[in-house]
Amino acid sequence: MIDVRHLSISYEGSPVLTDMTFRVAKGTILGVVGAGGVGKSVLLKLLCGLIQPDDGDVQIDGLSIRGLDDDALADLRRRMGMLFQNYALFDFMTVGENVAFPLEQAREDSPQDIQAKVSERLSEVGLPGIERMYPRELSGGMKKRVSLARATIAGANILLYDDPAAGLDPVTSSKIFSLIRRLHSSEGVSVVVSHDIDRMVGVCDEWLVLHQGRIWFMGDVHAVRASNDPVIATLFDTQPQEAVR
Amino acid sequence: MTSFLTRIGGTVRSLVVLTGGMFLLLMKILRSFVPMACDSRETWRAFYKVGVKGFPIVVLTALFTGAIMVLQSGHYVARTGATSLLGWAAGFAVFAEIGPILIGLMFSGRVGANNTAELGTMVVTEQVDALRSLAIEPTAYLVAPRFLAMTLMLFLLTAMGDLFALVGGAATAKVMLDVPVGIFFQQVVDAQLLDEYWLGLLKGMVFGMSIAVVSCYFGLRASGGAAGVGRAVNASVVAAAISIFVTDYVVALLWGAM
Amino acid sequence: MSQAIAQWMDSMVRLGRLFRQTFTSVLKGSLRRRRSQLIVQMYEIGNKSVLFITATLSILGMISVFQVLKQVEKIVPDFSMIGPAFIQMMIREFGPTITGLMIATRVGSGIAAEVGSMVVTEQVDALRMSNAKPVDYLVAPRFVACGIQTMMLSIYGVVVGVIAGSITAYVFWNISFGMFLRFDLVQWGDVVSGLLKALAYGFTIPIVASQAGLETKGGSEGVGAATTRAVVNASFAVVILDLLLSGFSYLVLYG
Repeated sequence: MIDVRHLSISYEGSPVLTDMTFRVAKGTILGVVGAGGVGKSVLLKLLCGLIQPDDGDVQIDGLSIRGLDDDALADLRRRMGMLFQNYALFDFMTVGENVAFPLEQAREDSPQDIQAKVSERLSEVGLPGIERMYPRELSGGMKKRVSLARATIAGANILLYDDPAAGLDPVTSSKIFSLIRRLHSSEGVSVVVSHDIDRMVGVCDEWLVLHQGRIWFMGDVHAVRASNDPVIATLFDTQPQEAVR
Repeated sequence: MTSFLTRIGGTVRSLVVLTGGMFLLLMKILRSFVPMACDSRETWRAFYKVGVKGFPIVVLTALFTGAIMVLQSGHYVARTGATSLLGWAAGFAVFAEIGPILIGLMFSGRVGANNTAELGTMVVTEQVDALRSLAIEPTAYLVAPRFLAMTLMLFLLTAMGDLFALVGGAATAKVMLDVPVGIFFQQVVDAQLLDEYWLGLLKGMVFGMSIAVVSCYFGLRASGGAAGVGRAVNASVVAAAISIFVTDYVVALLWGAM
Repeated sequence: MSQAIAQWMDSMVRLGRLFRQTFTSVLKGSLRRRRSQLIVQMYEIGNKSVLFITATLSILGMISVFQVLKQVEKIVPDFSMIGPAFIQMMIREFGPTITGLMIATRVGSGIAAEVGSMVVTEQVDALRMSNAKPVDYLVAPRFVACGIQTMMLSIYGVVVGVIAGSITAYVFWNISFGMFLRFDLVQWGDVVSGLLKALAYGFTIPIVASQAGLETKGGSEGVGAATTRAVVNASFAVVILDLLLSGFSYLVLYG
């Protein structure tokens, strides 16, 4: 479903990602791990066309993203949802307006239908009835869940998660990861970038290990456990390392 | 009615706290000169940065300001035919008032805002706390050098800027009003505006001090991550603009009283 | 040096593009559905700047009259034309331009700080993911609001400055209000020129500031840099526009 070929990008002269080629089949939950901060978020943004690569291409269901601007990507983006690292909720809107936003942009539903879908989504993520509150009044975990509601309300089935457990306590992190599993559609793909390896193990089908901007390893859990590679051992057997922001 | 009064009272109170706080910062800065606790390497670095940053924009602003003043005075000249007053009018306006204010405002934007942004980022990323934990006093190390640099630089830049403004004015006088460059400069000299020139320089120096104190004050009080830095810069340039006008008034009054 | 010029030209091109996008967005009626955002911006830009403009322009009025009278007093003690000349200058030049500089400072940095923070917290990316255009949502309301409010505030600024000046003339030199507040020298050309300047400033400042905000790169440093850039570029834009419009009005009237 997602086909990445020879993807490369640099920032101010230094390479961030180099020659990445991989495929994500329909129905997969892919976990992306690796030391360091920048590369993994950039990969997610490349997958949905928020940034353009220097080299290489991303194809989603055969449609190439390279060189398309925001207008051309509109149709594709309706099928995609992204959970940003800092939730990226619009602070000048209420929770209800935030979650309703993608639907209001699509202009396909009536206001009443939108309202109904918003409350359904909020219940789904375990936060019924908070439509009138503002993002600044919510805790980190609540904001993450509102952000999830917004990302999935338009029926997106290609879901991208940028560090979903960052800054959350263990209990809330577990809740978020169960939500990720629940929201995943077998008709779509979920890509999860995180450092919380322990929690990802219960959720991800396949793993993409990045090291120094390149693909170090790709495979399922058994292949990971069976590997003797020192980089993988560091990531999977010792305490998960928090990236320095 | 009471809520209106409460709001006014609140505003007055925060104004007092603000002015008081900046005054205290000024005292702290002055105290770090006696004895000289100011880091000399930081000071030279500050001088260089402020000078390099401030110079281009001041020169350009000054050139345009001179041109604008000539164009505005030109209206009267064209109507009354009194071309002999052109140099006097433009020169007076530039030296005594418009020059220092416009140069001061541009300096506040280019150097002051930058300063607040730098200090604000340092505060928000806990670098200032790190300095304190190493027993380095932030005021002497960070603020005092910038204070010196900004005061002296704005003084020098105003001095140069005023002259560049005359160049811009002369060029405009020739191109738009057909007044030869030599005659224009002669008129300025004849108008005996030396007093006004010194007044302008004094204003420039005082502006430099105010901009330094204001920009450091708001920078050091930044909080709340990236948004906080943005807010600090916003508050800083607004306060600097007000302080420029207020000190302009005070200096003009004191000068006039002498 | 040549690299700096190339960079400058590049940013001018991008500025022009943002201008065009915003203009098209407004003309296509993008603001009709977002009236609340427009009202919020009008309040933020206009109402909240009133005290600031009052303070700065009244002081400007006081100082200008004070210094001019001090000079004139030495040369020819005829104060009859000072009031009218002062009023004309305020309407034509200092009212709009100083107000414009103050708006560039306050609103310019405010817009860049807000938009810059939104870039850094990925809200702008989130807008794009939901197929909303940042120009429609963020720039267009500020563009219209600032254009209108700068006009209003410029007129207000002229009034405040003139009143302050007339009070100074009365208190220090005993010039009666009747003698000072005469509009003999004010012509239509002056009023048009002043209003044109205010409009030009009001529509340019939000574009310059929004561009600085939208191009923010990197955390708190980036927002600080963007806010600084906005103030400098917006103020400088005011000065350049002032020069161009002053020259233009001079040519039209006397060319």
